[in-house]
Amino acid sequence: MARNPLRGQVAVVGVGSTRYVRDARKTHLGLGLEAAVAAIKDAGIDKSEIDGICGSGRDTFSVGDATYLAVQGGLGIEATTWVLNSWLGTCFVYAAQAVATGLCDTVLIVQAHRRGADTSQSAVADPFRQRAAALTGAGIWRNSDLAQRWYHSGEAYAGWTARYMHDYGASKDVFGRIAVNNRSHAVRNPNAVMRTPITLDDYHESREIWAPMQLLDMDVPVDIGEALVLTTAERARDLPGKAVYVDAMSMGGTGVGEYYENGIGWTELSPWRAMAGMWNRTDLGVDDLDLFFPYDGFTVGAVQFTEAAGFCGPGEAADLFESSWDKQRSILRLRGRTLVTTNGGNLSQGRSGGFNYYAEAVRQLRGDCGDRQAEGARTALIGAGSFYHDPVAVLLTAEPQ
Amino acid sequence: MPVSDDEVFERFPDVLITYDNIEHYRGLLEQKLLINRCDDCGYWIYPHRPLCPRCWSWSVTPSQVSGRGQIYLLTRIQQARANDLAGQQQGAVVLVAVELAEQKGLRYLSTVDEVAFTDLRHDMAVELTWIERNGLRVPAFRPAHLHEEARVG
Repeated sequence: MARNPLRGQVAVVGVGSTRYVRDARKTHLGLGLEAAVAAIKDAGIDKSEIDGICGSGRDTFSVGDATYLAVQGGLGIEATTWVLNSWLGTCFVYAAQAVATGLCDTVLIVQAHRRGADTSQSAVADPFRQRAAALTGAGIWRNSDLAQRWYHSGEAYAGWTARYMHDYGASKDVFGRIAVNNRSHAVRNPNAVMRTPITLDDYHESREIWAPMQLLDMDVPVDIGEALVLTTAERARDLPGKAVYVDAMSMGGTGVGEYYENGIGWTELSPWRAMAGMWNRTDLGVDDLDLFFPYDGFTVGAVQFTEAAGFCGPGEAADLFESSWDKQRSILRLRGRTLVTTNGGNLSQGRSGGFNYYAEAVRQLRGDCGDRQAEGARTALIGAGSFYHDPVAVLLTAEPQ
Repeated sequence: MPVSDDEVFERFPDVLITYDNIEHYRGLLEQKLLINRCDDCGYWIYPHRPLCPRCWSWSVTPSQVSGRGQIYLLTRIQQARANDLAGQQQGAVVLVAVELAEQKGLRYLSTVDEVAFTDLRHDMAVELTWIERNGLRVPAFRPAHLHEEARVG
Protein backbone atom coordinates (compact mmCIF):
# COMPACT_ATOMS: atom_id res chain seq x y z
CA MET A 1 0.00 0.00 0.00
CA ALA A 2 1.21 3.54 -0.68
CA ARG A 3 2.06 5.77 2.27
CA ASN A 4 -0.76 8.20 3.17
CA PRO A 5 0.30 10.55 5.96
CA LEU A 6 -2.63 12.90 5.34
CA ARG A 7 -5.28 10.29 6.11
CA GLY A 8 -7.83 11.79 8.51
CA GLN A 9 -5.72 14.95 8.92
CA VAL A 10 -7.58 17.34 6.59
CA ALA A 11 -11.28 18.28 6.92
CA VAL A 12 -13.80 20.08 4.71
CA VAL A 13 -15.67 22.55 6.95
CA GLY A 14 -17.51 24.87 4.58
CA VAL A 15 -19.42 24.61 1.32
CA GLY A 16 -21.02 27.30 -0.82
CA SER A 17 -22.71 27.09 -4.22
CA THR A 18 -24.42 29.67 -6.43
CA ARG A 19 -27.59 28.89 -8.35
CA TYR A 20 -26.85 26.97 -11.55
CA VAL A 21 -28.18 29.08 -14.44
CA ARG A 22 -27.57 29.48 -18.17
CA ASP A 23 -26.99 33.22 -18.03
CA ALA A 24 -26.10 34.76 -14.67
CA ARG A 25 -25.05 38.17 -16.07
CA LYS A 26 -22.17 38.15 -13.62
CA THR A 27 -18.43 37.95 -14.14
CA HIS A 28 -16.43 34.81 -13.48
CA LEU A 29 -15.02 36.60 -10.43
CA GLY A 30 -18.44 37.72 -9.23
CA LEU A 31 -19.69 34.12 -9.30
CA GLY A 32 -16.58 32.93 -7.48
CA LEU A 33 -16.89 35.58 -4.78
CA GLU A 34 -20.52 34.68 -4.20
CA ALA A 35 -19.65 31.03 -3.64
CA ALA A 36 -16.64 31.93 -1.50
CA VAL A 37 -18.66 34.14 0.83
CA ALA A 38 -21.21 31.36 1.26
CA ALA A 39 -18.54 28.74 2.00
CA ILE A 40 -16.71 30.91 4.54
CA LYS A 41 -19.97 31.76 6.34
CA ASP A 42 -20.94 28.08 6.31
CA ALA A 43 -17.59 27.25 7.94
CA GLY A 44 -18.33 29.74 10.73
CA ILE A 45 -14.91 31.41 10.57
CA ASP A 46 -13.72 34.93 10.06
CA LYS A 47 -12.14 35.63 6.68
CA SER A 48 -8.88 36.50 8.44
CA GLU A 49 -8.44 32.82 9.25
CA ILE A 50 -8.05 31.98 5.55
CA ASP A 51 -4.31 31.66 4.85
CA GLY A 52 -4.44 29.73 1.58
CA ILE A 53 -6.40 30.24 -1.62
CA CYS A 54 -6.86 28.07 -4.68
CA GLY A 55 -8.44 30.11 -7.47
CA SER A 56 -9.99 29.13 -10.71
CA GLY A 57 -8.22 28.55 -14.02
CA ARG A 58 -4.80 27.90 -15.44
CA ASP A 59 -3.55 31.47 -15.66
CA THR A 60 -2.30 33.70 -12.85
CA PHE A 61 -3.21 36.82 -14.79
CA SER A 62 -6.81 36.21 -15.85
CA VAL A 63 -8.41 39.55 -15.13
CA GLY A 64 -12.09 39.47 -14.30
CA ASP A 65 -11.80 35.78 -13.43
CA ALA A 66 -11.89 34.12 -10.03
CA THR A 67 -8.13 33.67 -9.78
CA TYR A 68 -6.42 33.64 -6.40
CA LEU A 69 -5.21 37.21 -6.87
CA ALA A 70 -8.65 38.60 -7.54
CA VAL A 71 -10.34 36.41 -4.93
CA GLN A 72 -7.91 37.42 -2.21
CA GLY A 73 -8.28 41.09 -3.11
CA GLY A 74 -12.00 40.81 -3.64
CA LEU A 75 -12.66 39.24 -0.24
CA GLY A 76 -10.24 41.53 1.59
CA ILE A 77 -7.98 38.75 2.88
CA GLU A 78 -4.74 40.39 3.98
CA ALA A 79 -2.19 37.59 4.05
CA THR A 80 -1.78 34.09 2.67
CA THR A 81 1.14 31.66 2.66
CA TRP A 82 -0.15 29.34 -0.06
CA VAL A 83 -1.81 30.24 -3.36
CA LEU A 84 -2.52 28.50 -6.67
CA ASN A 85 -4.84 28.58 -9.65
CA SER A 86 -6.19 25.21 -10.68
CA TRP A 87 -9.30 23.57 -12.12
CA LEU A 88 -11.31 20.42 -12.74
CA GLY A 89 -11.21 18.19 -9.70
CA THR A 90 -7.50 18.52 -9.12
CA CYS A 91 -7.78 21.88 -7.37
CA PHE A 92 -9.14 19.99 -4.37
CA VAL A 93 -6.06 17.74 -4.18
CA TYR A 94 -3.62 20.65 -4.35
CA ALA A 95 -5.51 22.58 -1.69
CA ALA A 96 -5.80 19.62 0.69
CA GLN A 97 -2.12 18.92 0.22
CA ALA A 98 -1.31 22.50 1.25
CA VAL A 99 -3.16 22.11 4.55
CA ALA A 100 -1.66 18.67 5.16
CA THR A 101 1.91 19.94 4.76
CA GLY A 102 1.49 23.07 6.86
CA LEU A 103 1.86 25.55 4.02
CA CYS A 104 -1.43 26.94 5.24
CA ASP A 105 -3.94 25.97 7.92
CA THR A 106 -7.23 27.03 6.35
CA VAL A 107 -7.62 26.98 2.59
CA LEU A 108 -10.37 28.44 0.41
CA ILE A 109 -10.95 26.76 -2.94
CA VAL A 110 -12.91 28.77 -5.50
CA GLN A 111 -14.00 27.51 -8.88
CA ALA A 112 -16.17 29.39 -11.34
CA HIS A 113 -17.28 28.44 -14.81
CA ARG A 114 -18.99 30.59 -17.44
CA ARG A 115 -20.35 29.57 -20.80
CA GLY A 116 -17.78 30.27 -23.47
CA ALA A 117 -18.40 32.72 -26.28
CA ASP A 118 -18.75 29.86 -28.75
CA THR A 119 -21.08 27.53 -26.84
CA SER A 120 -24.38 28.67 -28.36
CA GLN A 121 -26.01 31.22 -30.69
CA SER A 122 -26.88 33.43 -27.72
CA ALA A 123 -23.31 33.25 -26.44
CA VAL A 124 -21.95 34.33 -29.82
CA ALA A 125 -24.31 37.33 -29.74
CA ASP A 126 -23.45 38.27 -26.14
CA PRO A 127 -20.98 41.19 -26.13
CA PHE A 128 -19.80 40.42 -22.59
CA ARG A 129 -18.87 36.87 -23.54
CA GLN A 130 -17.26 37.96 -26.80
CA ARG A 131 -15.19 40.65 -25.15
CA ALA A 132 -14.02 38.26 -22.40
CA ALA A 133 -13.00 35.73 -25.04
CA ALA A 134 -11.01 38.33 -26.99
CA LEU A 135 -9.23 40.12 -24.17
CA THR A 136 -8.39 37.54 -21.53
CA GLY A 137 -5.65 34.92 -21.71
CA ALA A 138 -3.27 35.70 -24.56
CA GLY A 139 -5.57 38.58 -25.51
CA ILE A 140 -4.61 40.72 -22.53
CA TRP A 141 -1.77 42.18 -24.61
CA ARG A 142 -4.33 43.92 -26.81
CA ASN A 143 -6.09 45.69 -23.93
CA SER A 144 -5.61 49.36 -24.69
CA ASP A 145 -6.91 50.84 -21.43
CA LEU A 146 -4.02 52.40 -19.49
CA ALA A 147 -5.90 51.89 -16.23
CA GLN A 148 -5.82 48.11 -16.76
CA ARG A 149 -2.22 48.06 -17.91
CA TRP A 150 -0.07 47.03 -15.00
CA TYR A 151 -1.60 43.67 -14.41
CA HIS A 152 0.06 42.38 -17.54
CA SER A 153 3.46 44.00 -17.69
CA GLY A 154 6.62 44.42 -15.66
CA GLU A 155 6.46 48.19 -16.01
CA ALA A 156 5.20 48.63 -12.48
CA TYR A 157 8.59 47.52 -11.18
CA ALA A 158 9.99 50.70 -12.72
CA GLY A 159 7.45 52.65 -10.71
CA TRP A 160 8.50 50.79 -7.56
CA THR A 161 12.20 51.42 -8.29
CA ALA A 162 11.52 55.16 -8.38
CA ARG A 163 9.24 55.07 -5.31
CA TYR A 164 11.90 53.17 -3.31
CA MET A 165 14.52 55.74 -4.25
CA HIS A 166 12.17 58.55 -3.18
CA ASP A 167 11.03 56.98 0.10
CA TYR A 168 14.46 55.87 1.28
CA GLY A 169 16.72 58.45 -0.34
CA ALA A 170 18.55 55.78 -2.33
CA SER A 171 20.41 56.25 -5.60
CA LYS A 172 20.47 53.67 -8.38
CA ASP A 173 23.70 52.30 -6.92
CA VAL A 174 21.71 49.91 -4.73
CA PHE A 175 20.26 48.27 -7.84
CA GLY A 176 23.57 48.51 -9.67
CA ARG A 177 25.31 46.45 -6.96
CA ILE A 178 22.97 43.55 -7.71
CA ALA A 179 23.68 43.85 -11.44
CA VAL A 180 27.45 43.92 -10.90
CA ASN A 181 27.41 41.11 -8.30
CA ASN A 182 25.40 38.79 -10.51
CA ARG A 183 27.54 39.55 -13.55
CA SER A 184 30.76 38.92 -11.58
CA HIS A 185 29.50 35.43 -10.69
CA ALA A 186 28.37 34.79 -14.28
CA VAL A 187 31.85 35.63 -15.57
CA ARG A 188 33.05 32.49 -13.76
CA ASN A 189 30.06 30.34 -14.81
CA PRO A 190 30.62 28.57 -18.16
CA ASN A 191 26.85 28.04 -18.42
CA ALA A 192 25.93 31.73 -18.25
CA VAL A 193 25.17 33.82 -21.34
CA MET A 194 26.46 37.20 -20.12
CA ARG A 195 30.11 36.73 -19.17
CA THR A 196 31.68 40.13 -19.84
CA PRO A 197 32.56 41.86 -16.54
CA ILE A 198 30.74 45.11 -15.83
CA THR A 199 31.36 47.97 -13.44
CA LEU A 200 28.91 50.24 -11.67
CA ASP A 201 29.71 52.87 -14.33
CA ASP A 202 28.76 50.43 -17.09
CA TYR A 203 25.52 49.81 -15.23
CA HIS A 204 24.69 53.53 -14.99
CA GLU A 205 25.37 54.03 -18.69
CA SER A 206 23.05 51.28 -19.92
CA ARG A 207 20.02 52.27 -21.99
CA GLU A 208 16.84 53.39 -20.22
CA ILE A 209 13.83 51.17 -20.92
CA TRP A 210 11.15 52.13 -18.37
CA ALA A 211 12.30 55.15 -16.36
CA PRO A 212 14.32 54.72 -14.15
CA MET A 213 14.90 51.05 -15.07
CA GLN A 214 17.70 50.44 -17.51
CA LEU A 215 18.78 47.51 -19.64
CA LEU A 216 21.14 46.17 -16.95
CA ASP A 217 18.28 46.20 -14.43
CA MET A 218 16.50 43.55 -16.48
CA ASP A 219 17.02 39.83 -16.98
CA VAL A 220 18.35 38.40 -20.24
CA PRO A 221 15.94 36.18 -22.21
CA VAL A 222 17.28 32.72 -23.12
CA ASP A 223 16.08 29.30 -24.32
CA ILE A 224 16.67 26.69 -21.61
CA GLY A 225 15.36 23.68 -19.72
CA GLU A 226 15.69 22.87 -16.01
CA ALA A 227 14.41 19.89 -14.01
CA LEU A 228 14.56 18.58 -10.44
CA VAL A 229 13.64 15.30 -8.77
CA LEU A 230 12.48 15.30 -5.14
CA THR A 231 11.76 12.35 -2.89
CA THR A 232 11.47 11.52 0.80
CA ALA A 233 14.50 11.89 3.08
CA GLU A 234 14.16 8.18 3.82
CA ARG A 235 14.51 7.20 0.16
CA ALA A 236 17.27 9.77 -0.34
CA ARG A 237 19.47 7.97 2.20
CA ASP A 238 19.68 4.94 -0.12
CA LEU A 239 20.43 6.89 -3.29
CA PRO A 240 24.03 7.23 -4.49
CA GLY A 241 24.22 11.04 -4.79
CA LYS A 242 24.41 13.69 -2.09
CA ALA A 243 20.89 14.84 -1.24
CA VAL A 244 19.94 18.40 -0.36
CA TYR A 245 17.05 18.91 2.07
CA VAL A 246 14.07 21.23 2.22
CA ASP A 247 14.11 22.92 5.62
CA ALA A 248 11.19 25.35 5.30
CA MET A 249 9.19 27.03 2.60
CA SER A 250 6.31 29.40 2.08
CA MET A 251 4.46 31.18 -0.65
CA GLY A 252 2.87 34.58 -0.13
CA GLY A 253 -0.20 36.56 -1.08
CA THR A 254 -1.59 39.96 -0.19
CA GLY A 255 -4.82 41.83 -0.71
CA VAL A 256 -3.38 43.63 -3.74
CA GLY A 257 -5.57 41.85 -6.26
CA GLU A 258 -4.27 41.74 -9.79
CA TYR A 259 -3.13 45.37 -10.03
CA TYR A 260 0.40 46.20 -8.97
CA GLU A 261 -0.44 49.66 -7.72
CA ASN A 262 -3.47 48.65 -5.73
CA GLY A 263 -3.14 50.20 -2.38
CA ILE A 264 -0.17 48.81 -0.55
CA GLY A 265 3.38 49.87 0.29
CA TRP A 266 6.89 48.48 -0.18
CA THR A 267 6.88 46.33 2.95
CA GLU A 268 3.41 44.92 2.31
CA LEU A 269 4.17 43.36 -1.07
CA SER A 270 4.04 39.60 -1.27
CA PRO A 271 7.77 38.71 -0.91
CA TRP A 272 7.47 39.95 2.69
CA ARG A 273 4.62 37.50 3.28
CA ALA A 274 6.60 34.62 1.81
CA MET A 275 9.68 35.36 3.89
CA ALA A 276 7.66 35.81 7.08
CA GLY A 277 5.84 32.54 6.39
CA MET A 278 9.12 30.68 5.85
CA TRP A 279 10.95 32.10 8.90
CA ASN A 280 7.91 31.13 10.95
CA ARG A 281 8.52 27.48 10.05
CA THR A 282 12.20 27.03 11.02
CA ASP A 283 14.54 27.88 13.84
CA LEU A 284 17.31 28.87 11.43
CA GLY A 285 17.82 32.57 10.85
CA VAL A 286 19.35 34.99 8.39
CA ASP A 287 22.74 34.68 10.15
CA ASP A 288 22.84 30.97 9.31
CA LEU A 289 22.77 31.54 5.55
CA ASP A 290 25.73 30.72 3.31
CA LEU A 291 23.96 31.40 0.01
CA PHE A 292 21.08 33.70 -0.92
CA PHE A 293 19.24 33.92 -4.21
CA PRO A 294 16.98 37.02 -4.33
CA TYR A 295 14.86 37.22 -7.44
CA ASP A 296 16.60 39.18 -10.18
CA GLY A 297 14.00 39.32 -12.93
CA PHE A 298 14.56 43.01 -12.21
CA THR A 299 17.18 44.36 -9.82
CA VAL A 300 14.46 45.98 -7.68
CA GLY A 301 13.10 42.50 -6.94
CA ALA A 302 16.46 41.44 -5.55
CA VAL A 303 16.53 44.51 -3.29
CA GLN A 304 13.04 43.74 -2.04
CA PHE A 305 13.77 40.05 -1.35
CA THR A 306 16.98 41.05 0.47
CA GLU A 307 15.07 43.35 2.81
CA ALA A 308 12.11 40.97 3.11
CA ALA A 309 14.50 38.17 4.13
CA GLY A 310 15.72 40.34 6.99
CA PHE A 311 19.34 40.98 5.99
CA CYS A 312 18.56 44.60 6.82
CA GLY A 313 15.56 46.80 7.49
CA PRO A 314 13.36 48.44 4.83
CA GLY A 315 15.33 51.02 2.86
CA GLU A 316 18.67 49.90 4.31
CA ALA A 317 19.90 47.76 1.41
CA ALA A 318 22.14 50.52 0.04
CA ASP A 319 24.13 50.65 3.29
CA LEU A 320 24.12 46.85 3.55
CA PHE A 321 25.47 46.41 0.02
CA GLU A 322 28.16 49.07 0.60
CA SER A 323 29.38 47.40 3.78
CA SER A 324 29.06 43.95 2.21
CA TRP A 325 31.01 44.75 -0.94
CA ASP A 326 34.10 42.67 -1.78
CA LYS A 327 36.02 45.13 -3.96
CA GLN A 328 38.53 42.59 -5.15
CA ARG A 329 35.93 40.25 -6.66
CA SER A 330 33.17 42.84 -7.24
CA ILE A 331 30.65 40.71 -5.36
CA LEU A 332 28.44 40.93 -2.28
CA ARG A 333 29.14 39.08 0.94
CA LEU A 334 26.06 40.00 2.99
CA ARG A 335 26.92 40.65 6.62
CA GLY A 336 30.39 39.36 5.81
CA ARG A 337 29.17 35.83 5.11
CA THR A 338 26.35 35.23 2.62
CA LEU A 339 27.15 34.98 -1.09
CA VAL A 340 24.46 36.18 -3.46
CA THR A 341 23.29 34.46 -6.67
CA THR A 342 26.43 32.51 -7.39
CA ASN A 343 25.37 31.39 -10.88
CA GLY A 344 24.77 34.89 -12.23
CA GLY A 345 21.01 34.67 -11.81
CA ASN A 346 18.41 35.75 -14.32
CA LEU A 347 20.26 38.96 -15.03
CA SER A 348 23.40 37.24 -16.27
CA GLN A 349 23.01 33.46 -16.45
CA GLY A 350 19.63 33.77 -18.11
CA ARG A 351 15.93 34.34 -17.61
CA SER A 352 14.43 31.25 -16.06
CA GLY A 353 11.83 32.69 -13.72
CA GLY A 354 14.20 32.22 -10.81
CA PHE A 355 14.04 28.44 -11.24
CA ASN A 356 17.78 28.36 -12.06
CA TYR A 357 18.45 29.13 -8.41
CA TYR A 358 17.43 25.65 -7.30
CA ALA A 359 19.93 23.84 -9.52
CA GLU A 360 22.73 26.18 -8.43
CA ALA A 361 21.83 25.90 -4.73
CA VAL A 362 21.79 22.10 -4.96
CA ARG A 363 25.11 21.92 -6.81
CA GLN A 364 26.74 24.30 -4.32
CA LEU A 365 25.35 22.43 -1.30
CA ARG A 366 26.56 19.15 -2.82
CA GLY A 367 30.05 20.65 -3.16
CA ASP A 368 30.01 20.10 -6.93
CA CYS A 369 30.98 23.51 -8.22
CA GLY A 370 34.73 23.07 -8.73
CA ASP A 371 36.55 26.38 -8.92
CA ARG A 372 33.19 28.19 -8.43
CA GLN A 373 32.56 26.34 -5.16
CA ALA A 374 31.42 28.51 -2.25
CA GLU A 375 33.61 27.26 0.61
CA GLY A 376 31.67 25.28 3.21
CA ALA A 377 28.23 26.10 1.83
CA ARG A 378 25.62 24.29 4.00
CA THR A 379 22.52 26.51 3.71
CA ALA A 380 20.80 28.34 0.85
CA LEU A 381 17.76 30.62 0.83
CA ILE A 382 15.88 31.14 -2.40
CA GLY A 383 13.51 34.10 -2.64
CA ALA A 384 11.87 34.25 -6.04
CA GLY A 385 8.73 35.65 -7.61
CA SER A 386 6.77 38.77 -8.30
CA PHE A 387 5.80 41.59 -5.96
CA TYR A 388 2.21 40.53 -6.07
CA HIS A 389 1.99 36.92 -7.29
CA ASP A 390 3.95 33.68 -6.90
CA PRO A 391 6.60 34.72 -4.42
CA VAL A 392 8.33 31.88 -2.62
CA ALA A 393 10.86 31.59 0.14
CA VAL A 394 12.58 28.17 0.13
CA LEU A 395 15.30 27.25 2.61
CA LEU A 396 17.56 24.33 1.63
CA THR A 397 20.19 22.66 3.78
CA ALA A 398 23.00 20.19 3.09
CA GLU A 399 21.85 18.08 6.07
CA PRO A 400 18.37 17.70 7.61
CA GLN A 401 18.07 19.95 10.69
CA MET B 1 -30.37 59.73 -22.79
CA PRO B 2 -28.25 57.05 -21.07
CA VAL B 3 -25.47 55.45 -23.08
CA SER B 4 -26.38 51.89 -24.07
CA ASP B 5 -24.24 48.83 -23.33
CA ASP B 6 -23.70 48.35 -27.07
CA GLU B 7 -22.34 51.87 -27.36
CA VAL B 8 -19.89 51.31 -24.49
CA PHE B 9 -18.57 48.18 -26.21
CA GLU B 10 -18.33 50.04 -29.51
CA ARG B 11 -16.54 53.10 -28.15
CA PHE B 12 -13.96 50.96 -26.28
CA PRO B 13 -13.23 48.15 -28.77
CA ASP B 14 -9.95 47.01 -27.20
CA VAL B 15 -10.85 47.24 -23.54
CA LEU B 16 -11.97 44.37 -21.31
CA ILE B 17 -15.50 45.51 -20.48
CA THR B 18 -17.26 43.27 -17.95
CA TYR B 19 -20.39 43.27 -15.79
CA ASP B 20 -18.20 44.52 -12.94
CA ASN B 21 -16.73 47.52 -14.76
CA ILE B 22 -19.20 48.59 -17.47
CA GLU B 23 -20.58 51.45 -15.37
CA HIS B 24 -17.06 52.85 -15.02
CA TYR B 25 -16.64 52.90 -18.81
CA ARG B 26 -20.11 54.31 -19.33
CA GLY B 27 -19.07 57.09 -16.97
CA LEU B 28 -15.87 57.76 -18.95
CA LEU B 29 -17.98 58.47 -22.03
CA GLU B 30 -19.64 61.22 -20.01
CA GLN B 31 -16.27 62.38 -18.67
CA LYS B 32 -16.92 61.12 -15.19
CA LEU B 33 -14.46 59.03 -13.22
CA LEU B 34 -16.67 56.56 -11.36
CA ILE B 35 -15.31 54.15 -8.76
CA ASN B 36 -17.51 51.65 -6.90
CA ARG B 37 -18.33 52.69 -3.36
CA CYS B 38 -19.90 50.50 -0.70
CA ASP B 39 -23.36 51.76 0.25
CA ASP B 40 -23.07 50.22 3.71
CA CYS B 41 -19.60 51.17 4.94
CA GLY B 42 -18.46 53.82 2.46
CA TYR B 43 -15.34 51.93 1.37
CA TRP B 44 -14.08 52.77 -2.14
CA ILE B 45 -13.52 49.57 -4.08
CA TYR B 46 -10.93 49.25 -6.82
CA PRO B 47 -10.36 47.31 -9.08
CA HIS B 48 -14.02 47.23 -10.04
CA ARG B 49 -15.71 44.60 -7.88
CA PRO B 50 -19.35 43.84 -7.05
CA LEU B 51 -18.54 43.03 -3.39
CA CYS B 52 -17.11 45.30 -0.69
CA PRO B 53 -13.86 43.69 0.53
CA ARG B 54 -14.16 45.38 3.89
CA CYS B 55 -17.71 44.56 5.01
CA TRP B 56 -18.86 42.03 2.35
CA SER B 57 -21.87 44.05 1.29
CA TRP B 58 -23.08 43.39 -2.26
CA SER B 59 -24.58 46.86 -2.35
CA VAL B 60 -22.08 49.00 -4.22
CA THR B 61 -22.71 52.14 -6.27
CA PRO B 62 -20.43 53.59 -8.95
CA SER B 63 -19.66 57.03 -7.52
CA GLN B 64 -17.87 60.03 -8.90
CA VAL B 65 -14.54 60.86 -7.29
CA SER B 66 -13.36 64.44 -6.73
CA GLY B 67 -10.54 64.02 -9.20
CA ARG B 68 -7.95 65.15 -6.66
CA GLY B 69 -5.02 62.98 -5.68
CA GLN B 70 -1.28 62.59 -5.32
CA ILE B 71 1.20 60.74 -7.49
CA TYR B 72 2.28 57.49 -5.79
CA LEU B 73 4.14 55.70 -8.61
CA LEU B 74 5.52 57.15 -11.82
CA THR B 75 7.45 55.90 -14.84
CA ARG B 76 7.97 56.57 -18.52
CA ILE B 77 7.76 53.69 -20.96
CA GLN B 78 10.39 54.27 -23.65
CA GLN B 79 10.10 50.82 -25.14
CA ALA B 80 7.10 48.50 -25.10
CA ARG B 81 7.59 44.73 -25.16
CA ALA B 82 7.54 43.07 -28.59
CA ASN B 83 4.20 41.27 -27.98
CA ASP B 84 2.55 44.29 -26.37
CA LEU B 85 0.37 45.44 -29.24
CA ALA B 86 -1.36 48.12 -27.20
CA GLY B 87 2.02 49.42 -26.02
CA GLN B 88 3.47 49.66 -29.54
CA GLN B 89 0.61 51.90 -30.66
CA GLN B 90 1.03 54.34 -27.82
CA GLY B 91 4.74 55.04 -28.24
CA ALA B 92 6.61 56.60 -25.32
CA VAL B 93 4.07 57.14 -22.56
CA VAL B 94 4.13 58.45 -19.02
CA LEU B 95 2.28 56.32 -16.48
CA VAL B 96 1.31 57.46 -13.01
CA ALA B 97 -0.50 55.61 -10.25
CA VAL B 98 -2.48 58.38 -8.56
CA GLU B 99 -3.60 57.88 -4.98
CA LEU B 100 -7.04 59.47 -4.99
CA ALA B 101 -7.97 61.84 -2.17
CA GLU B 102 -11.02 59.76 -1.24
CA GLN B 103 -9.12 56.93 0.45
CA LYS B 104 -5.59 55.87 1.36
CA GLY B 105 -4.43 53.20 -1.04
CA LEU B 106 -7.10 53.95 -3.64
CA ARG B 107 -4.90 54.19 -6.70
CA TYR B 108 -5.85 54.75 -10.31
CA LEU B 109 -3.41 54.26 -13.15
CA SER B 110 -3.40 56.99 -15.77
CA THR B 111 -1.18 59.41 -17.67
CA VAL B 112 -0.35 63.09 -17.24
CA ASP B 113 -1.12 66.35 -19.03
CA GLU B 114 0.33 69.87 -18.90
CA VAL B 115 3.54 68.68 -17.25
CA ALA B 116 6.85 67.26 -18.45
CA PHE B 117 7.90 63.85 -17.12
CA THR B 118 11.03 65.41 -15.63
CA ASP B 119 8.90 67.82 -13.59
CA LEU B 120 6.88 65.05 -11.94
CA ARG B 121 7.48 64.45 -8.25
CA HIS B 122 6.27 61.67 -5.95
CA ASP B 123 3.31 62.79 -3.83
CA MET B 124 2.72 65.90 -5.94
CA ALA B 125 -0.88 67.10 -5.88
CA VAL B 126 -2.71 66.44 -9.12
CA GLU B 127 -6.23 66.77 -10.42
CA LEU B 128 -8.27 64.94 -13.03
CA THR B 129 -8.52 66.30 -16.54
CA TRP B 130 -9.52 64.81 -19.88
CA ILE B 131 -7.36 64.43 -22.96
CA GLU B 132 -8.00 63.26 -26.48
CA ARG B 133 -6.83 59.75 -27.40
CA ASN B 134 -8.04 57.61 -30.33
CA GLY B 135 -11.18 59.72 -30.76
CA LEU B 136 -12.13 59.52 -27.08
CA ARG B 137 -11.79 61.84 -24.11
CA VAL B 138 -9.83 59.81 -21.56
CA PRO B 139 -8.69 60.56 -18.00
CA ALA B 140 -5.34 62.19 -17.31
CA PHE B 141 -3.90 64.08 -14.36
CA ARG B 142 -2.35 67.53 -14.30
CA PRO B 143 -0.60 69.42 -11.51
CA ALA B 144 -3.27 70.74 -9.14
CA HIS B 145 -1.70 74.15 -8.55
CA LEU B 146 -2.02 75.20 -12.20
CA HIS B 147 -5.78 75.29 -11.90
CA GLU B 148 -5.67 77.35 -8.70
CA GLU B 149 -3.28 79.89 -10.20
CA ALA B 150 -5.63 80.44 -13.13
CA ARG B 151 -8.38 81.37 -10.69
CA VAL B 152 -6.31 83.84 -8.64
CA GLY B 153 -5.49 86.07 -11.65
